[in-house]
Amino acid sequence: MNDLVVPVILIVLAPLIGGLVYGFERIVKARMQQRWGPPLLQPFYDVLKLADKRKMIVHSTHAFLGIMHFVSLWFALAVLLLGGDLILVIFLHLLSTSLLILAGYSTRSIFSHLGANRTAISTLCYEPVLILFAVSVFIQTGSFEVASIFSYNQPLVLKMPLAFMALLMILPIKLKKSPFDIAEAHQEITGGVELEYSGIFFEAIYTAKWLDYIFCYTLVYLFGANDPLVGMGLVLFVFLYINALDNSSARVNYKQMLRFSLLVALPIAFINLLLTILHLL
Amino acid sequence: MYPLIISLFIVPVIISGLVVIFPKSISRLLIIAASFLLSGLSLYLFITINEPYRFSIPHTMNEVVAGADILLLFYFGFVAIIRKSWLVGLMTALQLGALIYLLTVIPASDAVQFIVDKLSVFMFLLINVISSLIAVFSIKYIDEEDCSSFRKKYFMSILFWFIAVMNLLVCSDNMEYFFLFFELTTLASFLFIGFRKDETSVKNALTALWMNQVGGLAILIAMFFIIKNGYGIPTFSNLLAHSSAAGILLPLALLSVAALIKGAQMPFSKWLLGAMVAPTPVSALLHSSTMVKIAPFIILRLSPALKNTPVASVVIVLTAFVFVASAIAALSQDNLKRILAHSTIALLALMIMMGAVGTPVTLVACLILILFHGISKCMLFLNAGILERVFHFKETSDMDKLAETGPFTSFVITIGFMSLLLPPFGAFIGKWFSIETLGSLATHQKLLGSLVIVAIACGGAVLSLLYFKVLGLLITRSGNQDKIKFEKLNLFYAIPIYFLIGIMLLSVLSFPFLMTTCFVPVASQILVMPIEIATIGWSIHIGSMTLPIIPLLIAFLLVPVTIILAMLIRFKNVDRAKEYMCGEKIDYSFSSFYFSTDKATPYFSVIGILFFVALIVVAIV
Repeated sequence: MNDLVVPVILIVLAPLIGGLVYGFERIVKARMQQRWGPPLLQPFYDVLKLADKRKMIVHSTHAFLGIMHFVSLWFALAVLLLGGDLILVIFLHLLSTSLLILAGYSTRSIFSHLGANRTAISTLCYEPVLILFAVSVFIQTGSFEVASIFSYNQPLVLKMPLAFMALLMILPIKLKKSPFDIAEAHQEITGGVELEYSGIFFEAIYTAKWLDYIFCYTLVYLFGANDPLVGMGLVLFVFLYINALDNSSARVNYKQMLRFSLLVALPIAFINLLLTILHLL
Repeated sequence: MYPLIISLFIVPVIISGLVVIFPKSISRLLIIAASFLLSGLSLYLFITINEPYRFSIPHTMNEVVAGADILLLFYFGFVAIIRKSWLVGLMTALQLGALIYLLTVIPASDAVQFIVDKLSVFMFLLINVISSLIAVFSIKYIDEEDCSSFRKKYFMSILFWFIAVMNLLVCSDNMEYFFLFFELTTLASFLFIGFRKDETSVKNALTALWMNQVGGLAILIAMFFIIKNGYGIPTFSNLLAHSSAAGILLPLALLSVAALIKGAQMPFSKWLLGAMVAPTPVSALLHSSTMVKIAPFIILRLSPALKNTPVASVVIVLTAFVFVASAIAALSQDNLKRILAHSTIALLALMIMMGAVGTPVTLVACLILILFHGISKCMLFLNAGILERVFHFKETSDMDKLAETGPFTSFVITIGFMSLLLPPFGAFIGKWFSIETLGSLATHQKLLGSLVIVAIACGGAVLSLLYFKVLGLLITRSGNQDKIKFEKLNLFYAIPIYFLIGIMLLSVLSFPFLMTTCFVPVASQILVMPIEIATIGWSIHIGSMTLPIIPLLIAFLLVPVTIILAMLIRFKNVDRAKEYMCGEKIDYSFSSFYFSTDKATPYFSVIGILFFVALIVVAIV
């Protein structure tokens, strides 16, 4: 029971931790742009403000799917932190994204539909790489369970550097950051799926984004296996990398994103899988 | 036991004759009674038969079967002459020649012709339950068809006769009998596809005929090689008994070719796509739930001999390729039945792949996929029939009003699609097992396995994209109408749908029970070795794989229940706003996204042909 306490606390506090990460990210991004940036607790001030707004929805299906997107993402994160099966975790994450996509399709709003289309294409880009990553981890450590990855005795980043590189390539897609943020391109489709949400319902989508950060950084942390220093070091490195990339790159369109993921990231993940297989020979 | 099994063959044949004679009202009662009887029988047989039950019929029947074969081929030849189809004529001539030569060299024997083992009763269950539901649905469907009332009776008659043939096929051990029943299903497919008698139907029926005849020819040549290599009479048990003999690869390769053609794998997928012009119950029965399941069935039968051979490797790579290619092709279609056909081809490829790998867990995955895919596709096709008859449209781009005019149908299609994609439904678990076990293949197969994992990952992602597309069209609502009015469906339409939803729900909630009592025992018997299955704590362990139950049950609450609730829920005391359109007042309408695969399709066919050639080559070399 004891080893359940820490994950459960992490799961319950996940939105708070996610909020702090998001706040910190806004400060880092601002300092990179030589601005001062908002206070660290800004995301929580935003939550309070959003909760205060007048409740308006387009229709109940849309609002409900948005809330369930948040709940199911929290559940996917819970399974990940409790050490569940990695493929199941990836599928659960796909499900929460699919709830968001369905929410986008459920209204008769052009921007919402465009955002849902683009989010659907984004999932096509990063799903295969994640599955290949999971299988490589299985062949390396002998189990799909995240719990056993955490107790593997060598940092995975040394054994599977190419998988780490592939993960770095698709993380911007998952986190909707430049150069792969077409799903939420504010200047083009005014936020995509997020557009029709307001007030407390937008709160659900907003908090889901924080949980997504925790999810992705936990995947990065996995590369440290049982060494927490390596894990945190990698997380910090990826954090700075994502924000530097976000600040410095322009947006690509969906064809370029597809081409990049399927012709660059996927082959790199595949080569990693082959190398992992051959090492075991 | 013997009379029960025999009645599975005789009852459908009797009903088939009776529906032609009796008037409509009595026929309906007969059909409903037969449906209950057949489903009950197959369920009882499934529960009671544990050891393979062999029985034979008088050996004079061998002559009758040979005579029936020849008559059938004469009929095909007649069709070829009337319709002036040189391909059908060519295939018939080849088959006739091969058959006559074979009849001269077949050794006489006293062996049993039928073996009913656990795989057979598993298929009995699938065939009879699904066919019964479809028969009930067809009562109303065919009633509204625009044709003479004799043709309507003819349709129901062939439907039941087809059920009898399928039942016979899955327990035939003797390959001559198997060939007869295989070609009889081809005949049924031909008659059904050409039912509407317009030009496209006739053309597509002929395509289906000659392509499936190639499969039949492959079976005949396989039988010839079995005799030539000296294994004795051509039966499945004889073939498996010689699984380490020299020269076994060629019969195996030929039987795999027959399976791949029946399963509409590329380049032979044209017949299944063309078959969608048939009336919808036909598409549901033949072309998604039962006849095309012969493909993984053959591979499962051959699995102990097939696994780890070069033939298996080629089959695996071919089906991996077809899985991705058909998923991509499905994205280019608008017609709902065609989308379902492509998705069927993709999932059949996955099933055949799992059967060819042949390890305990992949066999379990194959069986899970067969059962759940049968149920889901049946439901989806029956709904396509309802869309056609009640709502009068066939294209998915017309589906966007469905959430308001037909919420119940919209629900059921959503559930059907979700059951193919999401946990905890069976088809998802089948896919999950596939990914997990490929990681645990033997060393020299790992390279093959890695290629297959990429194919499954990419194909799975593309199939998800497909389902988003269709689900998105179904879930679109305008905010105007807040009350839900469920549409009233005719009882004959609604009851099969309710049954199918009930079966699906039951199978989800009782999945651990199904694992231990259904899938694992069947797989063990195929492999002739026990597979350990244990329930430890909150997860089930099968062989080396673990299935965590709690996350799956919660996933069940989260996803399907969520999507259904989303369609039903109405928030009170919350203001409504209109969608944001930058203040413009213009009219707009929505469609969905399509990918054009015209440039790629010829390459798919070429690659498919190369694989088939490779299949035969590795068997000979």
